[in-house]
Amino acid sequence: MATAEASSNMKKVQVRRYKPEENADTNYLNAESGLRSWLLTKDHKRIGILYLIATTFFFFFGGLLALGIRMELWTPAATFIEADTYNQLFTLHGVIMIFLFLVPAVPAILGNFFLPMQIGAKDVAFPKLNLASWYIYMIGAIGTIFVIFAGGIDTGWTFYMPYSSTTGGAVTFMSFGVFILGFSSILTGINFITTIHKMRAPGITWGKLPLFCWSLYATSIIQILATPVLAITLALVGMERLLGIGIFDPALGGDPVLFQHFFWFYSHPAVYIMIVPGFGVVSEIVSTFSKKTIFGYWAIAMSSLAIAFISFLVWGHHMFVSGQASLANMVFSFLTFLVGIPTGIKMFNWLATMHKGSISLKTPMLYILGFFFLFTVGGLTGIALATIAIDIHLHDTYYVVAHFHFVMVGGMVMAYLGGLYYWWPKMSGRMYNETLGKISALLVFLGFNVTFLPQFVMGAQGMPRRYFNYIDQFQGFHQVSTIGAFILGIGFAMVFYNLVKSLFNGEKASANPWNSRALEWQVASPAPPHNFDHIPVLIHGPYDYHKPMADFQLGLAQTNGHEPEMGTHIEADKEVEMKD
Amino acid sequence: MSGHEHHISSDKLLLGVGGALLLLTIVTVGVHYLALPSPWSIIVAMIVAVFKGTLVALFFMNLYWDEKFNLMILISAFVFLALLVLLTLIDTLFREIPVPSF
Amino acid sequence: MANKTSTHAHPKHLYHHFIDSEQQFSAAKMGMWIFLGTEILMFGGLFAAYIIYRAWYPELFTMASHELNTIWGAVNTVVLIGSSLTVAMAIKSAQLNQKRNIAINLGITIALACVFMVIKYFEYTHKFHLGIYPGEFYTFDGIEHPKANIFFSLYYLMTGLHGIHVTIGIGLMSWLLWRSLKGDYDSEYYTPVEITGLYWHLVDIIWIFLFPLFYLID
Repeated sequence: MATAEASSNMKKVQVRRYKPEENADTNYLNAESGLRSWLLTKDHKRIGILYLIATTFFFFFGGLLALGIRMELWTPAATFIEADTYNQLFTLHGVIMIFLFLVPAVPAILGNFFLPMQIGAKDVAFPKLNLASWYIYMIGAIGTIFVIFAGGIDTGWTFYMPYSSTTGGAVTFMSFGVFILGFSSILTGINFITTIHKMRAPGITWGKLPLFCWSLYATSIIQILATPVLAITLALVGMERLLGIGIFDPALGGDPVLFQHFFWFYSHPAVYIMIVPGFGVVSEIVSTFSKKTIFGYWAIAMSSLAIAFISFLVWGHHMFVSGQASLANMVFSFLTFLVGIPTGIKMFNWLATMHKGSISLKTPMLYILGFFFLFTVGGLTGIALATIAIDIHLHDTYYVVAHFHFVMVGGMVMAYLGGLYYWWPKMSGRMYNETLGKISALLVFLGFNVTFLPQFVMGAQGMPRRYFNYIDQFQGFHQVSTIGAFILGIGFAMVFYNLVKSLFNGEKASANPWNSRALEWQVASPAPPHNFDHIPVLIHGPYDYHKPMADFQLGLAQTNGHEPEMGTHIEADKEVEMKD
Repeated sequence: MSGHEHHISSDKLLLGVGGALLLLTIVTVGVHYLALPSPWSIIVAMIVAVFKGTLVALFFMNLYWDEKFNLMILISAFVFLALLVLLTLIDTLFREIPVPSF
Repeated sequence: MANKTSTHAHPKHLYHHFIDSEQQFSAAKMGMWIFLGTEILMFGGLFAAYIIYRAWYPELFTMASHELNTIWGAVNTVVLIGSSLTVAMAIKSAQLNQKRNIAINLGITIALACVFMVIKYFEYTHKFHLGIYPGEFYTFDGIEHPKANIFFSLYYLMTGLHGIHVTIGIGLMSWLLWRSLKGDYDSEYYTPVEITGLYWHLVDIIWIFLFPLFYLID
């Protein structure tokens, strides 16, 4: 092990090369055992796995509801369930997919697991709070599921007033469940921002922060600024039902459109809570599988922050036909177009990263290529919907349904699955089956397009969303869409099978199967219990593929077998330079 | 890492700020009994409130000495609150049929 | 932190994933500040509703405010400011290692917070006697305005949410008092006192705005 000396303009430190241990005896999975060690863990990696198990369950539950919806729409009117049941199906599908899967998925699973590792920390800033956020999530989730038995809910996931204050069923219960879920999201956001500010290892300057961390940072900003408004809005819905406080209820002198303002002040930025972490995953994978430095690092990092900010200015585009003032319509429409700019910047930079790269089409990369295609379609149809005149025609049609599924499934879920495959070796210590992975990626892509492309067409022709019945001319579209949904479902099931199977008979993963330069790949697979046995020192950035591998894997040299002198701690935002 | 020692406020400063807050409370209640014409009473009251809030934030919550990022968090919270209020107002103040048309 | 050279001294309050106490302290403080940001936006939803309804019905707010007692509102303001002062004193005592004074100051703070809640209780019950209940239970007919119920809904929601925060603050402060009596806090470690103090000051700031918005507009 060569020892080199790194110096900053403050102090010199002894830097030593640490090669990751292959087939290490202890890792975070076997360091402790027993159910208790999992349920009381404060290890961010184990908490990430707890979230993975829970969200996977809810994802498949929500997916089954979606299949139920699609099956019901095979014929006009009743196919196999009643209209009321159908209303409850699409409401639950929306609530479960948004609040139980999309919002927590990337930040709470991949973010929890890899944020501390990417910045060279042993854990997030507040491990107890991190575990608490999982419990709060589970309480909220169980509450949400329990609604099914407490009378169901048929308001749609948007809980629009005044219907939600008058309809029967468990709206109060549901709003309380989502209220609780919001706190889980807030705690994760607090944890991530503090962690990124305070826990970076020596040499990890803001300019060397992996783009996944930048995207989580932007996401956390939205989480902490928007979620509290949702909390108070849902509390008001609850109070409206319990006490009739009348802020939103026109029967008592209130204004239902005000509810929509408050609701979308959260729920529009929430769309970016779901997608921005996905952007971070894309940046990591594109660079790794193109073997090239990311193109436009700062442009990608700053566009995440720009998206976070602009996301707060556009919520009124959900309300063009709500009776909102025309002035507000125009302002919101204009501001909405602005979102296209930072998003376009990202897309161009990713494509430029791939340009003349040495691209390897492994499964994670396939998902990202799918992401490029589907998210572009989703984004551009969003620009169409932001145009007031077009939106008046398309509002509440299947065009909107197709649009947001292209963004959410085609964008976020594709990025999430790509990220899950990409980091699976580090999380499980096993390699998945590449052939099966590729086949399932193609099935997901195919099934998705068969499901949602017809919905653009029938939406543009006037098929309204959330309707139980429809006229015969739409039946062909609906049937193609239903067939696509089943292909998509089979694709997701194969992903699940592939990953779970790898746990039992997958090939053992090496520490760095993708030859990545990022910090989380410079330790053993599966990750060691406390991430790093040394305090890592970064000299090059996480995407410096043109630098030799030997310049990575550096840590503060240990003195006399003890922890390094704290006095040698380098200011995290000072440059560290190699000096041989 | 920030190497600075934590700021320790003196009794004099804390009591001074407390006294100023008390004084401002008396002022704002006093102005209330003067019964200024309609918009002015609320304007004066809010200016005093902002001033009081700033005193608490800077000297009781130590933002004056603290790392600037914490001050930035507080300010951005108010900025985003202002966005919520202002963008909602461009709807509610400019509706063709002003108030809930139900 | 440059002067903290003792490498192997590992204070018992220091968690393993932090490098030193200073990092742990400033992280906890930043976390609390971010949480306070979320609190501002949570109250912010109600403040926004207040502003929007006030812009629609300015005359309602002036009329309805007559039903609120300015003097008791002012007394409560003074009480909360006093409690903010004593919390700041408690932190200062901790920094100066005056362990007894931490407990004394926290005790006064709790007492003042309780006084605030008692006054609030009398204000609420007085209104209930008049029939000024929240929401659809509102039966008071002393205000000639069809939307008078909205004003009092806002009043109960905002002061109620604030009251909940005061109550939580009393709970937190009692826990701090108990631990400070055990001697857990000194100049080396007083993070919980510091961040609970921040929370308490924010509760104070919110009341500083609620007071003129409800009591001083008639």
